[in-house]
Amino acid sequence: MVSKSGYIPGTAAGSGIAAAPVARPVMSSTAETKEPVAQAKPARAEAKPIDTGVVEGAVAITAPMVGTFYTAPEPGAAPFVQLGGRVDEDATVGLIEVMKVFNAVKSGAPGVIAKICVENGQFVEYGQTLFLVRPEVVLDNEDPPE
Amino acid sequence: MSITRVLVANRGEIAVRIIKACRALGIESVAAVSQADKESLPARTADRAVCIGPPRSADSYLKIESIIAAALGTGSNAVHPGYGFLAEKPELAEACAKHGLTFIGPRPENIRQMGNKLLARAAVSEFGIPVVPGSKKVKNLAEASRIAQEIGFPVLCKAAAGGGGRGIKIVADPKQLREAFETAAAEARAAFGDDTLYFERYIPNARHIEVQVLGDRFGNVIHVGERDCSLQRRYQKVIEEAPAPRLSEALREEIRQAAATVARNLHYENAGTVEFIVDQDRGAFYFLEVNTRIQVEHPVTEMITGIDLVQEQIRIADGQPLSLSQSEVRFSGHAIECRITAESPSHAFRPCPGSIVEWRPPEGPSVRVDSHCFSGYVVPPFYDSLLAKLITRGDDRSEAVERMRLALENFTVRGVDTVIPFLRFLLHHPDYTAGKVNTRWLEAQVEQFSHCA
Repeated sequence: MVSKSGYIPGTAAGSGIAAAPVARPVMSSTAETKEPVAQAKPARAEAKPIDTGVVEGAVAITAPMVGTFYTAPEPGAAPFVQLGGRVDEDATVGLIEVMKVFNAVKSGAPGVIAKICVENGQFVEYGQTLFLVRPEVVLDNEDPPE
Repeated sequence: MSITRVLVANRGEIAVRIIKACRALGIESVAAVSQADKESLPARTADRAVCIGPPRSADSYLKIESIIAAALGTGSNAVHPGYGFLAEKPELAEACAKHGLTFIGPRPENIRQMGNKLLARAAVSEFGIPVVPGSKKVKNLAEASRIAQEIGFPVLCKAAAGGGGRGIKIVADPKQLREAFETAAAEARAAFGDDTLYFERYIPNARHIEVQVLGDRFGNVIHVGERDCSLQRRYQKVIEEAPAPRLSEALREEIRQAAATVARNLHYENAGTVEFIVDQDRGAFYFLEVNTRIQVEHPVTEMITGIDLVQEQIRIADGQPLSLSQSEVRFSGHAIECRITAESPSHAFRPCPGSIVEWRPPEGPSVRVDSHCFSGYVVPPFYDSLLAKLITRGDDRSEAVERMRLALENFTVRGVDTVIPFLRFLLHHPDYTAGKVNTRWLEAQVEQFSHCA
């Protein structure tokens, strides 16, 4: 579900649903039939990539719907989760608002929040990575496998 | 222009078409795409693409909340619904209005009224336009029996909420009535959530003629001529053309004026199509329905009038007056459109999704191809099978036909089966060349084709 390179994984963060800048046209205009932009991955020069990074062994919590992402239950409240915080599978990690309806986003995997990939109030697409979770390894000693 | 960024709430060739129209008007476009369409041509050619959900259209292209969220989240201030999906759902138009977005299409009340075939028939008869002889709502089997006898067999049993040919049954004689009535009701309930049925006289030797209309919010209404869409398979159009061949000038003008009358009386805004059935045995025409959207076959009208209908839609939605008056609409030449679908004509037209290894459409000054395909494109199994619309224009019909034959010869698609071989067969058929067709003609050719294939 993690967005692949070449496709804009999201938009400039911060100002919520306010007009996010869009990338400039990639293609020339008007010709009725044109050779498809084809095989080469599209240039998405100005799309600001969000660093979803790679955290070894981590799994992504992705947006289950398109909408506005909120890290906390209400403005000024403490966020649902913090970097390094533990979550269980059913933990609510954030909310996505769609037409005034707030939908809870569940962790889906028990572990430790290893990376926060989105900001409060940010517009997110379906499938966009919100958090990376390092699965909790329950072992007798502290050494992870490998 | 107050519209500055349009969310394109559709996929495939029509999404590409809308993106081009936006670009020509200097407007930005945002493609709302499902997960299956993230690498599609609309996603690549729009100024931006937004993933709105999983591949299944019920979870993406049909989700009003996701369309609105995507529009608001990308700073779009207008939504173009294309055709199909949410285009004729008044709820989308209403949701747009509620969230300060301009819906590029008619007013929701027009969409709602024309979406119900019974309401549409009632409204249009009030305007003095002939409708196919038929009934009001048929409540039960007893009433069905009485009404069917009155109209006479064979009779058509239709769903009030129907569209796209779904929920239509031909009842040949009284013995079939019970089964037809009950299955039609069940189908309509399943497909539209409304099992209201009515009856219509069945017209065996019919042509399907429709008229493109445009209206603006200042009450200006024009027609942009008619299209003949009689060549259908399972109520799906296969070949369309403009103007309609073999139609007397008197009848042509009457039909065009009837369409304009309908649009004017509805205070219709934006692009729409008024559909009629022409009874070739009686030389009469009847109102069928109004499609409150841009239609698949709009290019044939564009090719003979020079009007860009999608740009016109955007300008109208923006609150501008029509860019031309009725007397400025000029018709020149003849245009034909063939729908190139990924279906296998030698295997009962079964859908044929898969990877397009080679895509080489024909070119030429009188050839137009509207498509989202390219070599290497994978046709997903989740949506309809339309790959491209091939359109040719000529100074007259025979030139347009000749160019279409040539264009079909020069259209190479490898990797998926298409209907191109079947279309070549049709274009060489003497009945087609002579324009001696009706709405049942093509089904018979399916049989013929499978014999010689």
